[in-house]
Amino acid sequence: MASQAANEHPNRKYAIGLARAFGGAIIFGLPNLMTMEMWFLGFYLDRPRMLLFLIVNFGILVGLSRFSGFEETASFKEDLLDALAAYGVGVIASAAVLSVCGILTPDMSTSEIVGKIAVQSVPTSFGAMIARKQMGGTEDQEEQDVAERRAGYAWQLFLMVAGALFLAFNLAPTEEMILIGFKMTPWHSIALVLVSIVILHAFVYGVGFAGQEQVPEGSGFWRLFVFYTIAGYGVALLVSVYVLWTFGRMEGADLGQIVSMTTVLAFPAAVGAAIARLVV
Amino acid sequence: MAEKTRSRRSRRPARSGPPLLEWIAAAIGLLLTLAVLGTLGWESVKGSHVEPPAIEAGIGAITPTPAGYVVEVELRNRSSATAAAVEVEGDLTKADGTVVTSTTTVDYVPGDSTRKAGLFFEDDPRRHRLDVRAVGFAEP
Repeated sequence: MASQAANEHPNRKYAIGLARAFGGAIIFGLPNLMTMEMWFLGFYLDRPRMLLFLIVNFGILVGLSRFSGFEETASFKEDLLDALAAYGVGVIASAAVLSVCGILTPDMSTSEIVGKIAVQSVPTSFGAMIARKQMGGTEDQEEQDVAERRAGYAWQLFLMVAGALFLAFNLAPTEEMILIGFKMTPWHSIALVLVSIVILHAFVYGVGFAGQEQVPEGSGFWRLFVFYTIAGYGVALLVSVYVLWTFGRMEGADLGQIVSMTTVLAFPAAVGAAIARLVV
Repeated sequence: MAEKTRSRRSRRPARSGPPLLEWIAAAIGLLLTLAVLGTLGWESVKGSHVEPPAIEAGIGAITPTPAGYVVEVELRNRSSATAAAVEVEGDLTKADGTVVTSTTTVDYVPGDSTRKAGLFFEDDPRRHRLDVRAVGFAEP
């Protein structure tokens, strides 16, 4: 009996973690779950690209688990288990919400059903993974450990990629991204690039320090600017290009249009990169 | 906290490994992950987007309403490629040779799927000749 009680405790704790994960999946997924373009993408998105994106997403989930999974992790094995569970939660939450809204019906083809769920599973699994930090209390030990991991530059870059990817993915499917690209003159684009960089730097400098980030001794403005802000904007640009390519937004567009769409999407991506350390 | 233990496990001696529920959740997750990746992978290998959409239009139920007769049109995409902005036309040919045409546009007809649309006619289509067809589409 005693051993059973000891077993029950971690199970219950994990169940609470799972429940939070579902909450996170719904909260982070709702903007996409209720967006028409996202449903359409589910059936016309190029399959190999969608597959690649899901694999990238899974890698991000494993990485995020290192920082702040919905469950404390000790090893890579547990990160993997966490990522699988988060992805499972994402799929179930997506399927449930889409079904309840009448977006998924039994008479649809398997391809359409799986496609619609697969597209939504990206933001929902992301939400499931970071739910713990958002919705539950963190423990000191965990915080310390996470802070240790955060100190590494590679992890900082990884977090920026994760944040940029999440926000870019949320916005890229909409027609507005292309429309905004059309409406902007090159001058607007240049202004948007500068605004993105300024906002990114403001977050890196102002918010990053107040949080856990450790400023390397003797690092001046330029060092911070180059290694975090400019590197972060580079991440935002690359992520934007990748997401636009995944959604097939580049087909038939000339270089000017591609650059303009990329700068438009890099704006939210930069904000995502900047706030990743706060949210995750 | 001067002592820094690298292993997290050593801080929690009570726990010998992931709880059972964690394994169950991960197993379900693995199953769903493989199902999604497997389906998409299979479709990728199949190379579904080379063939153009092939849409058949069929006449469904015809219902008299105060606004006229509603003809339900069932669009079946025989290809695995998705068609967007599908134009549907229904020609009602009367006995005296006059033709009445009604049209509608369907946002999407996904590959290997069926979508329904409706056409209005003033005369009872059951008493005349009715032809429905998909006229054209746009690539999504």
